[in-house]
Formats: sequence, structure tokens, C-alpha cells
Amino acid sequence: MKRRLLGSVVTAAILLGGVVFWRSTTAPELVNGVATPAATRGGQLVGSIRAVPRSFNRIVAREQTTELLSFLTQGRLVRINRSTFDLEPWLAESWEASPDGLTFTLHLRPGVTWSDGAPFTSGDVLFTLQAVFDPKSESVVANQLTVAGKPIAATAPDDHTIVLTYPAPSGPGLRLLDALAIMPKHKLEGALAAGTFAKSWDSATPPSDMVGTGPFLLREYIPGQRIVLDRNPRYWRKATDGTQLPYLDRIVLQVVPDQDAELLRLQSGDLDLTQSELRPDDYVAARRAEDQGRLKVLELGVGPDADAFWFRLKAEAWKNDPRFAFVSKPEFRRAISHAVDREAFAENVFLGAGVPIWGPITPGNRIWFSPNVLRYPHDVNKAKEILKGIGLEDRNANGIVEDAGGNEARFTVITQRGIGWYERGTTELRNRLAQVGIALEIAPIDNGALIKRLLSSDYEAIYYRPLLTDLDPAGNMDVWMSSGSGHFWNLPGPKGPGLPVEKPATEWEARIDMLMAEQASTIDPERRKAIFNDVQRIFAENLPALYFVAPRIYYAHNARVRGVTPSVQRPPALWSADTIAVSGAP
Amino acid sequence: MARFLLRRLIFAILLIVIVSSGALFLTRLAPGDVTANLGAFAPPEEVARIRARFDLDRSAAAQWGGWALRAIRFDFGDSFLYNRPVGGLIQRAAGNTAVLAVAALSLATLLGIPLGIISGSRRGVAPMLIRGASLVCLSIPPLLTSLLLVFAASRTGWLPAGGMTSVNAVDAGWSSWVLDVVRHLPLPAIALALPIAATFERLQSQSMAETIHQPFVVAALARGVTWRRLVIGHAWRASLRSMCAIYGLAIGALLSGSFVVEYITAWPGLGRLMYEALRARDIYLVAGCSAMGGVFLALGSLVADLLLFAADPRVREGQSA
Repeated sequence: MKRRLLGSVVTAAILLGGVVFWRSTTAPELVNGVATPAATRGGQLVGSIRAVPRSFNRIVAREQTTELLSFLTQGRLVRINRSTFDLEPWLAESWEASPDGLTFTLHLRPGVTWSDGAPFTSGDVLFTLQAVFDPKSESVVANQLTVAGKPIAATAPDDHTIVLTYPAPSGPGLRLLDALAIMPKHKLEGALAAGTFAKSWDSATPPSDMVGTGPFLLREYIPGQRIVLDRNPRYWRKATDGTQLPYLDRIVLQVVPDQDAELLRLQSGDLDLTQSELRPDDYVAARRAEDQGRLKVLELGVGPDADAFWFRLKAEAWKNDPRFAFVSKPEFRRAISHAVDREAFAENVFLGAGVPIWGPITPGNRIWFSPNVLRYPHDVNKAKEILKGIGLEDRNANGIVEDAGGNEARFTVITQRGIGWYERGTTELRNRLAQVGIALEIAPIDNGALIKRLLSSDYEAIYYRPLLTDLDPAGNMDVWMSSGSGHFWNLPGPKGPGLPVEKPATEWEARIDMLMAEQASTIDPERRKAIFNDVQRIFAENLPALYFVAPRIYYAHNARVRGVTPSVQRPPALWSADTIAVSGAP
Repeated sequence: MARFLLRRLIFAILLIVIVSSGALFLTRLAPGDVTANLGAFAPPEEVARIRARFDLDRSAAAQWGGWALRAIRFDFGDSFLYNRPVGGLIQRAAGNTAVLAVAALSLATLLGIPLGIISGSRRGVAPMLIRGASLVCLSIPPLLTSLLLVFAASRTGWLPAGGMTSVNAVDAGWSSWVLDVVRHLPLPAIALALPIAATFERLQSQSMAETIHQPFVVAALARGVTWRRLVIGHAWRASLRSMCAIYGLAIGALLSGSFVVEYITAWPGLGRLMYEALRARDIYLVAGCSAMGGVFLALGSLVADLLLFAADPRVREGQSA
């Protein structure tokens, strides 16, 4: 009898424990992307940041921490959902576009107030655009909001309507406004009038002076230590069940500059989440912590950015170096592409967490990725054949191919020191290219020195990750256009009055220039996609930069964190902080 | 004594000027500059604006001249990373480093000196073990010690794994804040103190072993002075001279060791600030941190001299003469 009673008690305890465990581990149900259960309201989330913010004013600073804080404290008229890449209404609840795509009428959400209680109106939007385009503001978002070299014009027929007039048709259309954090006119108009907007809301500003329409408010900032944000009680957004968002009462962002220490603190429960994806080397440790119930590891899919290997294709920088005769030939670069085994590259460089790619747009950029570009299967013999076809043979049997003049295909490749996958990537490249007679000497250098050499075209080859700032190709015109400051394989010379305008170096670059200009000013999404597929095809045929593998992105957060809508872009979780909740104590 | 202090003050000023100017020139001459933080393909106009703001569009000499003139008025320029004046940042960080340095130096002294006395005055297993432990502590770089301690702290939960205060300190009163800092102190202090304690132990041991064979010690032993009194009262005091000299260097080593320790353990001190500044080529922050490093070194050297002054009658007599 006693044994039966004991058995019943144990069974009941297990069942009860199971229910409690289930309740504490089940993520809140998502309805239209918004977590619903009111039970998870409250609590504090502790995150990490690696660097301090240079400013709290997103209009004048672009650093990652400033961007993160703008997500937490400010609102935009429209938002690009970092998970689905769709455009969503935000401070503007609806809009209409004119048939020619030049005019957009946006209707602001009624009842929205700043965190100090002042009403949010169209005056704030006009003020923000005025600040963005004021030369004294030193705005870092003005370029993004410029169409065909001219700023977007705005008028406000009433307090809740904004009419935006684009100077020319724009492919991204309203998506451009995702870069525009709306600033409070009642707090900053004095600074703009006095010409001090560039310095307003710098990192020394007392938190009480700053207001926002975002889910959180800055409570405290201790330089080098932490940023504390409290929930904005006047935040406009509600969950579908009527619960006032955000769920969290507080977010604390600890400054942890070292990524190893950051991971250890995440594993120990000292941190709930970080602002970056896991490195390939950290994946196993994170999975182990997940098995122990401490972390939750999410696979976010393929990352939108990948490492590239490229030769300097600026003819004048090679001066009289005879090697440029073959470096400049697309066949030479195609041979290299054939020489690399991308499967082995993914295994050796990204420890298996990567997928083969043949161009800069990875499958992670779901909207713009084109699978139908020229591919170069791993084939050492074919690579050798192509090299022979352009006159490169190992004539003196020293293992390195040379041209008829005896000029060897031997290059120094620079890469950033201290980054594990860069070092592994260059080693893998060196080994693979040695098989076809191309010799690479690896020179890992400091990031600052690398950027200096890249910008002054003082290198032969580079292995590096040139980040595309936007998933939409129209946001990366600086990379695609031969005159752009980010056209990394052949950077244009200085521009200015009196200086000659450089022409595209090759016929295919001229073609890309033309297609990109057309793509950026085309409104029809299908047509834009078709044009950009063409651009990717030309790129893959000419290979100004070689891409081998795109990393798979993994993200880990504490198991007590709920409602994360992860993104392959940074910040992976806090871009949508208002729907994040926590269960239990840290 | 006044002349001695005046000499020391002039030496300190020279040291600070040379160290900070050297740091400014070296940062300027190193490849790359602060604009690398804007990313590889930042708009040229933004790069030009930042270069002008930090005087990078002027010659190195002109930049140094402008900076030196401002520094005389205690304006050390702005930091790129923090986007605020360097002076306030350094003041706060130096205070935090001072707290850590005092704790680490005290710990190193309390560990290193007694263990050095034991290993230098005895034979057997204990001195061997102490010597072995010291060699291990000297061989392991502070980077590894810090990571191991952070790992241990994160696994056991006995101590906070990093930072200077806990996340709830925002609502804490003054006394709770102090207690919170004390709770966060052991981890970086141990990481920083271990190699210095090992250095102290080795030097003390060597110095003690040499002193113990001096004729005056042998004579005292012959007079029937007990071994313990002989070691503590005679031999140790006589061996202090070399220890006092090393104290100034130890304070310098604390500062250089704290670069890595503060970075790994997220202690917001001068070492971490300097490390971040160097990585970002934040030129005026590097110069400011170096100047404060010079202050620390000068103070360390002064403390060492004063200790020597107190410990060695020959020095006192030399001064008074």
C-alpha cells in the first residue's frame, strides 16, 4: 500500500514537473509575428555588445551599436522585416503610391506619442528629413535617401499625412525609408537651427534628454561598461491579444569586447544573448550547452555575405608588371575557380557549416539570389587546360606556371590577421592553387593596414569579406557601379571638379553599369529581378572576385529567452526586441 | 628630501611627455588609421570629415604641435571610439585600474613575499613545490590565465565571470555598489597578480638565499639567534633592497598585464581602454592612455624609492648627507 502511494506521488510529481517544464519551455505563440501570451510580461534580458556607441543619433552615426540602439529606442515610418525581408507598416500604418512611382502618400498611425508624452506628427518626419539633408548635420544616411543624385522631397498636408516625392523612379521605393529613424522635432530643432545637430545626442548626452517612439528608453549609459534600457510605457504597439508591448521591463547591454569571453558568459547564463552569430569554431560548444538545457541554438540559414578572393584589376596599379597580362584575363580567374573544391573548402574552412557559391549573392539573400549563373565544377585538369590556353605552363618544371616570357604566376595574398576562417581560407586556397601551378604567399595583416592597402590599390590579391550593406542590389550601387567607392576589385580614382571622369575599365563592367542603373530605377519587381539576374550572370562569367562558400549562420541564446524572430542580418535577435520575453530568473 | 621629490617630479613630467608623444607618433606612423573603423568602403566624404576632425590631414609634426598645445590646457582631444573628450574617459578608467592594481599588488605581495621567504630559506619538498608553481605562473600568459579563470567562474558560478559591477547595480545604493565591486574584483585581480606574485617569489627567494649566507647572518646564528628571528628580523630586512627596486617595475607590469586581463574580464580600466584604442587607432585616446600610463609608472617608481628609503638605512644616510 505504502509502495503504491509512493508510486502515485512520484508519478504525480513527474507529471507536474513535466507540465511546469513544458510551460516554461514552450515559446509563445506567434500571431502575425507578434508573441501573444501575457504570462511572459516583465523581466530583464541581459545582452552583450562588443563596442560602445559613438552616438545615440542614428542620423549621424552608422556603427553597429548605434544601429542596435536605434532599433530599440526609435521608430521608422516603415520597417523591413529582418526575418522575411518584407516591408511592414510601422509608424506609418498605410500608404498609396502614384502610378508613376514618384509620389507616396503615407498615413501616420494615430495616437502615437514620444516617450515624454509629446504627440508624434508629420512635423517630426519633415524635421528628420530636413536634418538628414542639411549639410551641417554630417548625416550618414543622406546617401541612402538620395535618388538619382537628388534628395527625396516631403510635404505634410496635415499632422498625420506625409507626401514623399521622389526625383526619379526608385526600384526600392519605400524600402529606402527603413534607414530613416524618426527624430523628435521638439527636442532637436534647436540643435538643427544652431548647426549643432551633428553633435546632438552624442554619447555624453544624459539619457533623460533623449526620447523615442521605440519599445525601450535609455535609462543609463556607463562608458565601457553597460547600457541600460527600460521599457517605454508609451510604446504604441500591442500584441494581437491586446497585451501592451514590449514584454520585457528592461534590457541591459553589457560591454564584452572579447568574443571568447562573450561565449563563456553566454554558456554560464551570465548573458541571455549576443549581437552576433556563432563562429564556426564555437558551434560544438554551443550545441553541448544546448544539450544541457542552458542554450538554444538556432540555424538561421545561409548568411547573405561571403568571403571573396580577388586580384587587383586596376591596370595602372600594376604599372609594367607583366603578370597583369594574364591576371586581367577572365580565363585565368576561371581556372582558379575550377581549381578549388568548394565542398572541401566548406569542410576545411567553415568546419562543414557552409554551402558552395559562385557569386556574391548567396542563397541567404532569398529575393535576389540567382541559381542560374555559370558554375565551375572542381576539375584540376580543366583548370590546367585553361591556363595552358592563355599561355601559362610550367616550362621549367618547378611546379609553378609561367608565361612565354618566364613570368611566374606567383602572388602575395593579404588577409586580415586573427580571423580563423580567413587564415584557414587562404591556406586552403594556397594548397588548391598549388595543384594547378599558381603560387600564393599568405600575408595576414592588421585590419586597418589591410583597408589602407585595399583603398590605395597597394596589393596583388586579397582574401576578405566585402560586406554588402543592403540585401537589395540598389542599396549597393557603390559596389556594382564602376564609378562607385565600393567597386573593390578596381577602385576608381578621386573625383571632383577638374578631374577626368573615369570610364569603365572593361566592356562587361560598362554593361553592368548600364543594367544596374536601369535596375535601380525600375519599379516592377519582376523586371528588376530579371535585370539583376543578368548582372549576376555577367559577374559569374568574368569573375572579378571569386566566391567559394557562404557560411551557414547559427545563433545561440539562453534557453529562457522566448519569442526571438531570428535574422541572418545583425542584430540577429534585438531587431525585433518588443516581442522578446524571458521566463524565470537569469 | 624636497630636492629628491623635485627631481622625481621633473622625471615624471619628462616621462609622461615622452611616452605620450611617442605613442602619438607611433600610432600615426603605423599603417592604417582610425577611418578603418568606418569599414572598407565608407563614403569618401565621411572619411575626409573624420580625418580632418582628428587632424590626420595635417603632417605628424603639426598634429603633435596642436595636440601638445591643447594638452598643456588639459585638453587631450576627443576619442573616436567614444566620441567624447579623452580626459573624462581616462579619469574614470584610471580610477578603475587603480582599484584593480591595488588589489592585485596587495595579493601579489601577500602571496609572493612569504612564499619567497620560505623557498629561499628552507630546503625540502615545500620550496620545490613553490618554485614549480612560480614557474608555471610565470610561463602562462595572462591571456590564458584570464580565460581559464573566466571559464572556471562561468562553470562554477562562484564568482562573476566578468565586468566590474553586476547588471542590477543600476538600482543599488552606494554600499551595495561597493560590495558588488568587491565581488567582481577577485577574478581579474588573481589573473593579474599571479605572474607578479611569482616574480616576487622568485626574487625574494633568490635574495633571501644570498643574504642567508652573508657573514652577519652566520654570526647572528652563532650568537644563538633563533632561525625564525634570524630569517624575519635579519635576513629578510637585508634582502628587501632588491625587492623595493622591483616594486616600481611591478606597477609598470601591472599596467601592461592589465591590457589583456581587463579586456578578457571586461574590467573597464585603463588597460582595456588602451587596448581598444590601439586596435581602433584612436590616436588621441592612445596618447592619453599612454600619458596616464606614464603617471602610473612615475608613481610606481616614487613608491619604490620611498620604500627603499624606508627599508635601507644606507639610502637614508646618503640622502641626508
